[in-house]
Amino acid sequence: MAVTEAPLFEPEVAPDVRGPTAPLPATIFALGIAALVVIAFGVLFSQVNYAFSDRAMTQYCIDQQVSPEDNGGIGVCNIIEALRDPVTTDALYLGMGLGALSLVLGASTYRRMDSRRKRDHAITGAVLGSQGILLAVAVLWFRSVSPGLFAKHFLNFADLHGYGGAFLRGIRNTLVLAFAGEMGGIVIGLVLGVLTLSERRAVRAPARIYINFFRGTPLIWQLVTGYFLLLFGFGLRMSAFTVAVIVFALNTGAYAAEVFRAGIQSLERGQYEAARSLGMSYVQAMRYAIVPQAVRRVIPPLMNEFVILIKDTALVFGLGLVESEFDIFTVAREGQAATFNATFFTVAAIAYLVVTLPLIRLVNAVEKRLRSGLVGIAGAGG
Amino acid sequence: MIVAAEDPSPSVSRGSETSLVRLEGVHKWFGNLHVLKGVDLAMQQRDVVVVIGPSGGGKSTLLRCVSLLEVPTLGKVWFEGRDITDVRTDLNEVRTHIGIVFQSYNLFPHMTALRNVTVALERVLKLSSDEAHDRAMDQLARVGMGNKAGAHPGQLSGGQQQRVAIARALAMKPKVMLFDEVTSALDPELVGEVLEVMIRLAGDGMTMMVVTHEMGFAREVGTRMLFLDEGRVGEQGEPREMFYRPQTDRLRQFFAKVL
Repeated sequence: MAVTEAPLFEPEVAPDVRGPTAPLPATIFALGIAALVVIAFGVLFSQVNYAFSDRAMTQYCIDQQVSPEDNGGIGVCNIIEALRDPVTTDALYLGMGLGALSLVLGASTYRRMDSRRKRDHAITGAVLGSQGILLAVAVLWFRSVSPGLFAKHFLNFADLHGYGGAFLRGIRNTLVLAFAGEMGGIVIGLVLGVLTLSERRAVRAPARIYINFFRGTPLIWQLVTGYFLLLFGFGLRMSAFTVAVIVFALNTGAYAAEVFRAGIQSLERGQYEAARSLGMSYVQAMRYAIVPQAVRRVIPPLMNEFVILIKDTALVFGLGLVESEFDIFTVAREGQAATFNATFFTVAAIAYLVVTLPLIRLVNAVEKRLRSGLVGIAGAGG
Repeated sequence: MIVAAEDPSPSVSRGSETSLVRLEGVHKWFGNLHVLKGVDLAMQQRDVVVVIGPSGGGKSTLLRCVSLLEVPTLGKVWFEGRDITDVRTDLNEVRTHIGIVFQSYNLFPHMTALRNVTVALERVLKLSSDEAHDRAMDQLARVGMGNKAGAHPGQLSGGQQQRVAIARALAMKPKVMLFDEVTSALDPELVGEVLEVMIRLAGDGMTMMVVTHEMGFAREVGTRMLFLDEGRVGEQGEPREMFYRPQTDRLRQFFAKVL
């Protein structure tokens, strides 16, 4: 590898060599798209149509165990009535037909396509078509069993009025729990990770035992036992929230230790030797040469740990938090306990996604950036 | 076959107090692999000892034993009359006097060229940041890298990185410099700039130990040459003498392959 005076990316775009398409593959491609569009449009159109028109409870809904007395019963009835509306039914069967057609045509012809683009269109059409078939079958299956029973427990949003603030506080508390736990875990993990790399067994062994213990037992057991141990075993006066943060930090520390260990081991041994050959002590070599490089490599896996921890905070629901400390899951569970309506959990899932999806995207972006090797993390060529 | 191993050439005054570096009966095992099989060596001030030999012969291991990056399994290493294989030795302090340059440069990629040089000056030698900066800039200029002080290693060519690595080692003001196949990873057109720096260094009177495959450098710059073969010193002496009149079949075969 020579000098890097040249720009990193050539502005010129590589030529498109996939060639032309033809009527047949283009049709297969269009059929596959049409299958999905028809199904989605048919189902959604009916749902919107029913939701925004004034309807009463029907006998079908009552047969499906949706009662007129239920809070939100009409809404649930609309959902399941819309599902069996002729528009939905027609769309499902039409979509299945289109999907089957694109699947059969695509699968039987793609081998004979003589350009890259024709082949792509035929294969993609067949894939989209099979996805349409699966989607339609799932909807037909669902509505043929007892959609009312499911919908009145998981899709009845009427009981959620007034819970908006509680869920927002829940999101905040979940983030505080996870963030505090992650920060503590990173500190614990960095120390433990370095200890596991010691050449002395007496230093390695305790770190190893700690890591294996916290990785090998269920987090919920750690939370409950930690709660009783800290409050009664050690007689500490602290809130359930604080206990949760401590246990999350201890648990994450075990996983972060493995991340740091792998990050340090992924560095070339020469980096360590170069530092030592300049007269640096072990601690100085770690501090100035090894850890700063390892930190960059461990950022994406540690962010993944953070996403996992956000979801694991749901396990605090049994610890007896006070209301202002409720996390997302506890808010949902309290709401469900008060109303016997599990739709709170549906909303909880949405709340978790609101938090985790941007983070997942961020992790992927950071990973991509680091992999593209901005400031020569890998060392260099020669 | 191995005649020279047990009887050092006249320039080697074994046991002399004037030796800067002395190795005595050094053996090294890696697991069951016996890499060094009893090597004796003495280096005086201003010696440029060139170590040649087939790969796997223990050249790099020998060099790494001098700065105790590898601890000899048996035998002793003396530095300025001190036995540095003694466990009580403060190796960190000893290593500040022994510069080493590696085949793969091993610059710290997260630091600029300048910072690569100053970090040990500040943290190990405890120089003020101004002193460290001035000394580092002097050494970077000395290897012709003064104008690249702000660049990260990833932005430098292999030859430039290796020159920064040399400056990094020189800035510690070492009493001996070890070079471990420092041009082997370089593209052919970049070898010259690194060798040039090393030739100038030898001319300045630096004591050097150089493991290399550059036979031209060995012949022109070396004051003494060591042929290391299967963990033993197969032959040693004045480089030109060895090139023109190799004493052993092994060395003749080796020259036939590399020249």
